[in-house]
Amino acid sequence: MTSRTLGIGFLTPALVAVFIFFFLPVMLTVVFAFTNMSTSTGITDGDYRIIGDRLRNLSDAGVSQASIDKLEAAGYQITEAGLAALAEQFGEDTADELRDDFLGQSYAKRRDLERVLRSLDDPIRKTRDRKAAADLFAVSIINTRFDTEEEFRAALTSTGIDAGDHDALTRFAYTGWGWTRDNFRLLLELPSTLRYAANTAFYVLCTLSFNILFGLFLAISTFYLPAKLANTFRAIWFLPRILPPVLYVLMWNWFTWDTGFISTVTGWFGVPQQNWMMQTTTRAWTVIILINGFVGASLGMILFSSAIKAIPTSMLYASEVDGANRWQQVRYIILPQLRWPILFMTAYQTLSLLTSFEYILLATDGGPGRATEVWALAAYHTALNNYGGNLQYGLGAAYALVLVVIGIAASALYLRLFNFRELLIKPRIEQ
Amino acid sequence: MRRWTRTTALAGCLMGLAMPAMAEDISITVWAGGSNDSDSYRIEAIEMAADILEREAAILGEELNITVDGRRDFSGWDEFKQGVTLGAEAGTAPSIVVTSHLDIAPWSQAGYIVAVEDYVDLDAWPLSNVYPNLMEIASAGGTQWGVPQDAESRPFFFWRETLSQIGYSEDFIDALPDMVASGEYTLANVLEDAKKAVDMGLVEAGYGFYPRVSNGPDYAQFYQSFGGELIDPDSGKLVLDKAAMTEFYQFFVDAVAAGVTRQNHIGTEWNQWYNEVANGRAAFWHGGTWHFGRYAREGNDDFWNTIQFSLIPAGNDRGRANTITHPLVYLVMDQEDERIEEVAAQLVAIATEPRLNTLHAIQSNHLAVAKAQDGIELYSGNRWAAEATERLLGSANSQPNHLQYGAYSEAMFRGLEAAWTGVQTPEEAVAEVEAQMTATIGDDLIVR
Repeated sequence: MTSRTLGIGFLTPALVAVFIFFFLPVMLTVVFAFTNMSTSTGITDGDYRIIGDRLRNLSDAGVSQASIDKLEAAGYQITEAGLAALAEQFGEDTADELRDDFLGQSYAKRRDLERVLRSLDDPIRKTRDRKAAADLFAVSIINTRFDTEEEFRAALTSTGIDAGDHDALTRFAYTGWGWTRDNFRLLLELPSTLRYAANTAFYVLCTLSFNILFGLFLAISTFYLPAKLANTFRAIWFLPRILPPVLYVLMWNWFTWDTGFISTVTGWFGVPQQNWMMQTTTRAWTVIILINGFVGASLGMILFSSAIKAIPTSMLYASEVDGANRWQQVRYIILPQLRWPILFMTAYQTLSLLTSFEYILLATDGGPGRATEVWALAAYHTALNNYGGNLQYGLGAAYALVLVVIGIAASALYLRLFNFRELLIKPRIEQ
Repeated sequence: MRRWTRTTALAGCLMGLAMPAMAEDISITVWAGGSNDSDSYRIEAIEMAADILEREAAILGEELNITVDGRRDFSGWDEFKQGVTLGAEAGTAPSIVVTSHLDIAPWSQAGYIVAVEDYVDLDAWPLSNVYPNLMEIASAGGTQWGVPQDAESRPFFFWRETLSQIGYSEDFIDALPDMVASGEYTLANVLEDAKKAVDMGLVEAGYGFYPRVSNGPDYAQFYQSFGGELIDPDSGKLVLDKAAMTEFYQFFVDAVAAGVTRQNHIGTEWNQWYNEVANGRAAFWHGGTWHFGRYAREGNDDFWNTIQFSLIPAGNDRGRANTITHPLVYLVMDQEDERIEEVAAQLVAIATEPRLNTLHAIQSNHLAVAKAQDGIELYSGNRWAAEATERLLGSANSQPNHLQYGAYSEAMFRGLEAAWTGVQTPEEAVAEVEAQMTATIGDDLIVR
């Protein structure tokens, strides 16, 4: 085995993982975004059914009035054909009695016919049999479910509907999903789109700045502390990242709630009890940015700290000999060496912040009044959270697809900005 | 060889005929959404029904073994609904679900549920005894998809002591429900009296009027109070009445401006909320008939002397005092094996037996689904059930089983939230709601 094939062999698990966990979800998002999928259409397949109270929408669908009338008028009718089938299954006596008294009668609903079948001198006693018997007289296809298009068209033909209307009726009756570009048209039309976009931009910019600046501050300040103390501080600041998000946000809730920590403490000084997270939009944003900021800053701190440690101490000693103070050390030695880690963190955090919404969901759920609803949260709310139960998978995917596109564009931009080739050349610092 | 096969087949057939009826094992799973301990009869009634059905089969000489497996430990409606829909897609859906009647429209369209009317006789006991308007709520498009599991209604509550401290006599407070029903006491009076309560220091600022803390059917009631209609009965389309919607938003904005309702009220912790209203921290609030039991658990065991209840008052001349009932329904889910659907539907019918349903109604403080429950002592002897039925159910309507109602309700609540929290004025909020609804609901919407 050559080393080349061995290499590919080793890569395979990674490639499979990339395919399953990255490529496939992205492809599915693209596919879903161009459909009208929702709870009511299902994800797998649809079938064919004309629902009773949607009959009045049929004329909008381009079906002729004659056909609509025919569909509406039809129900259950006592016919010779039906009686023959009945005689075969339930005996001549029942059929004869029905023929004598009810031949030619029509019933709008099966329930009406079931009542007739029960009222016979020789009634059909079992519910199940009565329903089966009633179905023998069905001339209506309203509310009947057909699994395939062929079955539905055959039923249309047997009901005597004008063949010119078959196509429109089939389209109308299909309950599954179809391809559409309407999701994107809707996104452009909705007044909320712009607000969510602006919210997202604001959220990413503020949180990102906080992440980087605070991460830098922590890394540099702990660098100048004695090693043991520095490690303790870093461990404490790392807590937000390792805490489960639900627990972390719950603590924030306790902290900011009407009867929470801040309210209690400020209460001692006569400030009226209030909610420090949800009272105003400004507060909601502040809390959101802090919640996410602390999580992001801890990662920045670790990364920047190790980068600072990689700076040869001789450079710092030399600068001290030259009379540089701490600020000058930071400004002229540390920050220039941190250029790549900072750029990396900026790129990485932009992309992850664009798609992250779990902390916002747990903290404000986009409130107050959708003021902190970011794009990714809107995608979640649309696709997976709806009081009335009809979840809009297609529209939600369209939201998500916009993020995917922005993410890919931003990655490309960052790669260019970084100048990856330069990143990969030998470090200037001698090890 | 061929002869041998034929002989065995024949022998097999004869043996099959000669043998007594084979035992039939049916496994039924029941998932109940939004249910806690006091709602245990949503599942237990099915278990009891299974016992009855087995006995009925035994008398007919058939051996039917039904195992009922119930589940209600969902973290919330979201988890339950996702579980049901994804299960239905994967072919592992439960046999019976207890869920909001609003799910009928999307789930029937998707083919997740089958119509109970295909399996049970609606004209036979006990389904023939169920209130017709409740049966109507469990149907869509002329098909009876489900059977109502319970009924409830969403009243307006008053804290008696606060009212008498404002200066109302006991007689006046006792007559309040009638005055609300006749439109003499309106939401304008609520606002006025809530402000008095706050100004007089009887309740804290923000506790004059203390509404529900999350989206729910309750808010559609206020839209109706100001003359709004949810659906146009003639065309079956949803209705956005802009004037009613604006006034409804304005009411909440006014309540915030007057200091009787907190601007950040939405999102308050439910447990905190229940505890506060049960113990008189708020002057006016609204909730549901099941709150009766909850208030007792929160330490208020003297409901009748501390709290008064009525319909949601009218908001203006166009509106009316009203309440919305939001029954949960038993639905039978689509299964590979049609026999399971049939047994499930029969179990649902038996579980609707007045005696069985009464167990649920009284244990969970819900209202009856069948007329005969009035004649059952457990029910008629319960003052809350009896009075709430009489005072509220007569004026109750429900939200429409319309495919787009979810989008409608969501947009309405978002608009309310935006106005309430001061992000937009009521007019701006309604304009955005209109744009949102027109874009998402389109042809199924009438804007007035």
